[in-house]
Amino acid sequence: MRLFIQAQSIILQAIIVYFLIAGTLYANERHSDPDGCLSCHALKGLQFIDKEGLLRVSTIDESHYYSSLHGSVPCKDCHRKITHYPHEVENGYVDCAESCHVNEPSSGEAYTHKPIVEEFEKSAHGQGLIKDFAGGNRLKEELEEVNPSCRRCHANTAYIAEDQMEQFKTAFMHTETECGTCHQGDVWRDQFGGHILRRLVGSRWKKEGNNKMCVDCHADSERMTKVELEDPETKEKHKVDSRWINSTESYDRTLHSRILKTKIEAGASCMDCHAPTEQGKFRHNIYRDEDKRSATHLDNLAETCAQSGCHEFARAPLNAGFVETDLHDVDQLEIKSWLSLIDSERLESNWQRAFYIVGIVVIVFMFGAFIWLFTGIKAKKQSPILGGESFEKIMIGRKIRKKPKKKPVVKKKAASVVKPEVKVPPAIKPEVKAPSVVKPEVEAPPIVKSEVNDNSIEKAESNSDKGKPSI
Amino acid sequence: MRILNNIKAIPFVQKYRYAVILISSLSFLGPLAFLPQLVGNDDLCGVLCMRRFYLYFPGMTFEDFFTHINVAFIGVIAFALILLTTFFYGRLWCSFLCPVGGLAELGSRMLNDRWKIEFRSLPQVQIRYGYFAVYLVLMPLLGISACTLCNFITIPRLIEALQGEYRGMVYIISSVGLVNLGLLFILGFFASKGRAYCQFLCPIGAADGLVNRLGAKFNFTHHIRVEKERCTGCNVCARACMCGAIKMVDRVAVVDQLSCMSCHDCVDVCDWNAIEWTPASRHKEPKRIKKHVQIFPDPNWQSINVHDKPKINIASKKISRLRLINGLIFSFFISFIAVTSVMAMV
Repeated sequence: MRLFIQAQSIILQAIIVYFLIAGTLYANERHSDPDGCLSCHALKGLQFIDKEGLLRVSTIDESHYYSSLHGSVPCKDCHRKITHYPHEVENGYVDCAESCHVNEPSSGEAYTHKPIVEEFEKSAHGQGLIKDFAGGNRLKEELEEVNPSCRRCHANTAYIAEDQMEQFKTAFMHTETECGTCHQGDVWRDQFGGHILRRLVGSRWKKEGNNKMCVDCHADSERMTKVELEDPETKEKHKVDSRWINSTESYDRTLHSRILKTKIEAGASCMDCHAPTEQGKFRHNIYRDEDKRSATHLDNLAETCAQSGCHEFARAPLNAGFVETDLHDVDQLEIKSWLSLIDSERLESNWQRAFYIVGIVVIVFMFGAFIWLFTGIKAKKQSPILGGESFEKIMIGRKIRKKPKKKPVVKKKAASVVKPEVKVPPAIKPEVKAPSVVKPEVEAPPIVKSEVNDNSIEKAESNSDKGKPSI
Repeated sequence: MRILNNIKAIPFVQKYRYAVILISSLSFLGPLAFLPQLVGNDDLCGVLCMRRFYLYFPGMTFEDFFTHINVAFIGVIAFALILLTTFFYGRLWCSFLCPVGGLAELGSRMLNDRWKIEFRSLPQVQIRYGYFAVYLVLMPLLGISACTLCNFITIPRLIEALQGEYRGMVYIISSVGLVNLGLLFILGFFASKGRAYCQFLCPIGAADGLVNRLGAKFNFTHHIRVEKERCTGCNVCARACMCGAIKMVDRVAVVDQLSCMSCHDCVDVCDWNAIEWTPASRHKEPKRIKKHVQIFPDPNWQSINVHDKPKINIASKKISRLRLINGLIFSFFISFIAVTSVMAMV
């Protein structure tokens, strides 16, 4: 008996010790399920078929939920209408604008997402869902809704990736030393340490991760072609253009995107320009370009470019040209059909006119060089056809005797033409007359040439219209 | 056979130089592009860009300048290295490594000499620094991107287009790309010796030339230097010079250090060893005087022609037109910066 009792006590002790150790181990993972929702919802295979015939899985993956931003929030704080088991499906709907479970330490008031929701409602994405979030309408929303809802971007589970969980845990263990030096009090750290840390650790802390959220929808060109925009004045709906549809692709061609891809945070993400950080704004204030409230409206662009750390010189009115740089240049897009390459509208700019001049010269020289391959091999003279003589004169310092040779030839010709007409007068007179006849003919061409050249230079220089390739 | 003989006739250093240009363009440009790919780039733009960070925007502060540096920091490091080597060894980047100027030069050298345009006799210093001033100061203000006339886009994109990549095709057949392609032909392939773009439009070359001129003032730096006593005035070097830096003044070759690329071409061609890529001789004073004969053991290598300096004579009232233009460019540049920065402050 004694042995049995001893063994029992040892086993009991072992169990107690085990739980103590396990308790301390898991104490840092903050499970809070005071209402016991997870006693049912954590069961695997908790499924049913709803009225629309969809299979609905009500199982909540504990590890996913705990690693989410709201992992430490009790279920009932958001799902308020559920008071007792069993509950109606509709009672599970959630409203993000309601006040929260957390008290803000500075003011002592209940924290709420209301200002963010209000800002979001005004924005271009404003038609998206704000209320009534439940598992049942998630699929419907994904398929039918054009505008994003709160949870589309703030997907609770994906907020911290599982591979970042370890990093988060180790960071969370150190909140006491690192945050605690200033923010004293366990309560504050428990409530806000997680909030802040998740943003530090989570993928959206980086701008590239931030862009992924926009790209998820806007890069889907099939989905974007279906979008119809409403004219704010006439209320007519019209289809979107290729600039809208390929906005992410054209963004990828810009320096803003390219720099972010090389892991330098100096580049600009989508949000940096479309929803800049201003005081009292929560980065949900995305409007369409035509809207005067929009940060990307032409009137506000200078201020947007001049955000702190970016192009601060853009505020100066002299830099108007800089501000108007096209950052969603359709010309840089992937070729969908080869015919679009020859599209005259695509090429329409002063650069095109400059190319006509340059192109003609290039073609002439190509043709000449090709002919010379066959005819010119044995030719003695291999000096450049244009500017070769001036090179001899200026750089080498050689005097060229060709010009004096030419003059007598011209004179002789003129004389030979004139002579038969006038026979009687002495030989000096026709020689005097002849140059006076010839001179204007010789002098005229250079004047014409200089005019042509001036025009060409003007054409080439007046090029501020369209030709601004973004890299 | 004719072609083979022509290749055999190329001097050794030039063969070496062409090979280095080929290797560097294989490693800098597509399809391999392995040097840019080390920093996650497939062309010479973005972090590798050496041509944008020094642009002046009115009202710019030093913070903005540092962000521009931060954005293209690898390009800035490369640019600094280029300038540093230029100071000590001449513009070796331009002549031996640059894949953009080098490819145009190789292309030009393969064509015949008759159907070409000779740009070397133009006043290239004035054109280059005039454009450089406009590029630095005026183009950002007008909103013309610095990338519009950039060969560092055109040549990688052209090679991409030859590979059949859409990005290169789209660029080359856009209106700006077509102009750039035309300029590549006129200032590259159909220019005599193929370095006209480097002479006139390249901002890296312009900054590099200034440093080269500065470095040529010192005795210990390697630059192209002339021994005047040996020069016979045969002008072979002036004809061979690919950037028009050598001018015959009073039957002596004079090197313009603002445009010289230290490509060694003139050295290979000279029969009298009168021109050399070397530091200046150590003995400026005669080492010994024997029977009233001054003995200089080293040749007197001069990088800058000392006697070429114009003597200022107010009575003669002769003003060098080119020097006047230089002054105008410089004063335009400085006054423009001053005026616009004041305007931006207000």
